[in-house]
Amino acid sequence: MKIWTIIKKEYRDIVKKKSFLIATILTPAMMAAFIFIPALIAKVGREEKIIEIADYSGVIRQPLLEKSRNSEEATGLLKLKFQSIKEKSQKQEDLIKVYEQRIADKEPASLELVPEYSKRILDETIAGLILVPGNVKETRRIYFCALNVSDLMTNKYITSTVRKILSEKILTEQNIELKIVEEAIRDIKLNTFKVKKEGTTKAGSKLEYTMSFIMLAILLSIIMIYGQLIMRVVIEEKNNRIIEVLISSTNAQSLFYGKIIGIGLAGLTQVGVWALLAAAVLSRSPLGIDAGILNFLTPELAIYFVIFFIIGYFMYSILFAIVGAAVNSDYEAQQFSAPISYLLFIPFVIGVVVTQSANTPLVIITSMFPLFTPTLMFMRISITVPPFFQVALSIILSILFTMFLAWVGAKIFRVGILMYGKRPTVNQIIKWARYK
Amino acid sequence: MSDYDYALELEELVKDFDSKRAVDHISFKLKTEEILGLLGPNGAGKTTTLRMILNIIVPDSGTIKILGEHFSEKTKDRIGFLPEERGLYRKLKVSETLAFFGELKGMKTAAIKAKGTELLKRFDLHGYMDKKVEELSKGMAQKLQFITTIIHSPELLILDEPFAGLDPVNIELVKDIILEMKRQGITIIFSTHLMEYAEKIVDSVVMINKGKKVIDGSLASVKREYGTKFIKVKYEGDAGFVSSLDYVKGVRDYGNEMEIEPTEIKFKDTLLRDLTGKISISSFQVTEPSLNHIFIRQVRGQK
Repeated sequence: MKIWTIIKKEYRDIVKKKSFLIATILTPAMMAAFIFIPALIAKVGREEKIIEIADYSGVIRQPLLEKSRNSEEATGLLKLKFQSIKEKSQKQEDLIKVYEQRIADKEPASLELVPEYSKRILDETIAGLILVPGNVKETRRIYFCALNVSDLMTNKYITSTVRKILSEKILTEQNIELKIVEEAIRDIKLNTFKVKKEGTTKAGSKLEYTMSFIMLAILLSIIMIYGQLIMRVVIEEKNNRIIEVLISSTNAQSLFYGKIIGIGLAGLTQVGVWALLAAAVLSRSPLGIDAGILNFLTPELAIYFVIFFIIGYFMYSILFAIVGAAVNSDYEAQQFSAPISYLLFIPFVIGVVVTQSANTPLVIITSMFPLFTPTLMFMRISITVPPFFQVALSIILSILFTMFLAWVGAKIFRVGILMYGKRPTVNQIIKWARYK
Repeated sequence: MSDYDYALELEELVKDFDSKRAVDHISFKLKTEEILGLLGPNGAGKTTTLRMILNIIVPDSGTIKILGEHFSEKTKDRIGFLPEERGLYRKLKVSETLAFFGELKGMKTAAIKAKGTELLKRFDLHGYMDKKVEELSKGMAQKLQFITTIIHSPELLILDEPFAGLDPVNIELVKDIILEMKRQGITIIFSTHLMEYAEKIVDSVVMINKGKKVIDGSLASVKREYGTKFIKVKYEGDAGFVSSLDYVKGVRDYGNEMEIEPTEIKFKDTLLRDLTGKISISSFQVTEPSLNHIFIRQVRGQK
């Protein structure tokens, strides 16, 4: 069987490469890093921030200084140090008043700071300055001026602390005990459980959303990487004419299918290694894993993942192989392969709709469309329980479509690999499929 | 040795690409154990003809008999093919390269090893088994490429432009390899537009131009039939007058060398007399026509 020779060669070529080994090991390591490193950096990498406060209302400053003495404990991460501004400037108060008046008409684009204030921020003596206008109780508006205003944690801490201070102030003025109010407005926690035929199990909506997107991302990136790999292999063999030796020794079909299968098996190997690694990690530390994840990663879902991966891989790698056969250079390949990539990523966009309502007609119909089935139907399955006949139908449709694509693809491939010179048009490529 | 007299029999081959006729009723035969040169300028239809022989593309009409039978998947294991621009897998070792191409031709691992070792030795490449292809020099890669083409002991070897893009040293090398293969009893057809190299090794030639066959026959008979001898003169001086001599049919003047074609070769003495004294002659030689001359004359005559 000559197709076996091709499969073996393509598989070995990839698996023996150092880059394959590195990617196989490094990807899970990187994923772990993405999860742990930001938290780690946040924990050790934060410097103490000194923030000055100029309080013209006389209400906020004192309680803020007291409350923030243990800001680090409160937030776990932030190291904020608040201090009163040394000489409160009358001029700055006037400037704020002017600003407040103008706000009534239209929000101005700039706020004037007195030079001695802005200087300390610019030379980084302090990280920022909070200005509290005299009428803060009515307007509930304060000003934070800093070099970096994108530190959301700091911003949040300031607003929530100031809000708390104001609330307490108002309540004590009304002679209401703070505890009563706190009890009255305490948060409600929503515990989510997913209803399935097998039973009702704990499932975090945020978690499901993230998990299904992660799995979709793995699906898509593997299909993209290996599909484009086939494309490049074909272009290379076409350019050095090895392809002519190959088809004169076997035939275009064996070559076409052999390549797709061989490279696909390499992709499956990689996913397989990752699955084993994941299983090993999950089984070694079952206590550390959220019950929601285990409920999400059912064997059923794993099987669907493999099914949709295989279908999706074949569907798209056939398209990429056709592009490889049709073009003469990597540059031309980019132009043709871009639309294929868009096709792959459209479901990612629709995916957002899926998570909100997985069974609307739009989602049902698009998930039946073979090119979208591998991604969209998989998302539907991971988030809700679509009717079985829909799942079965989508799988059958996409398999039929893939077979059709393989049949046409082999024909186009056979002609394309012998065409050199000018970049073909899409019409020409379609014509190739009809050649004898 | 073989049970067929002709390794190749092409009859009335036609191939159109869209509206353009690439091959136009081409017929010829290739005797077993001979070398045939398929000659013609770029775009004449040489590669298309070879591809039809290899069954890579299907002719619109006409028949091809190869190794005494019509093409089948089995035929593929009995022929060797070297395409125009040559490449190997750079990252593969020599041994892996041989294993892959041998297997592709249906060989067993043991046979590949035995034949591969033998061929590497014959081409002075032994000791390179474990080297990667990218570590080989261009000449060595060239040899390896030929070895992959003949590792399965093909009966017919098809070479598309074997001399194209090679430096003189490698052209010599390829020529030697082709002759060596002929000695092994392999029938060979190759295409080229470099006629001067073809001339040195072919037994017979087929010239095609714009898809049509122009000339066909053994090298000797072609030269006899189509070539008139001409005179090559190395000289200094002004030779402008030569073309106006009444027994001179044509002159190609290169400045210090010219090729003069008289209406009949018997005028050579007259010519020598007429040249003497007018230009300074350093060499005067009656020359056999080259395939190049024959081809150019034939194509011009067609117009």
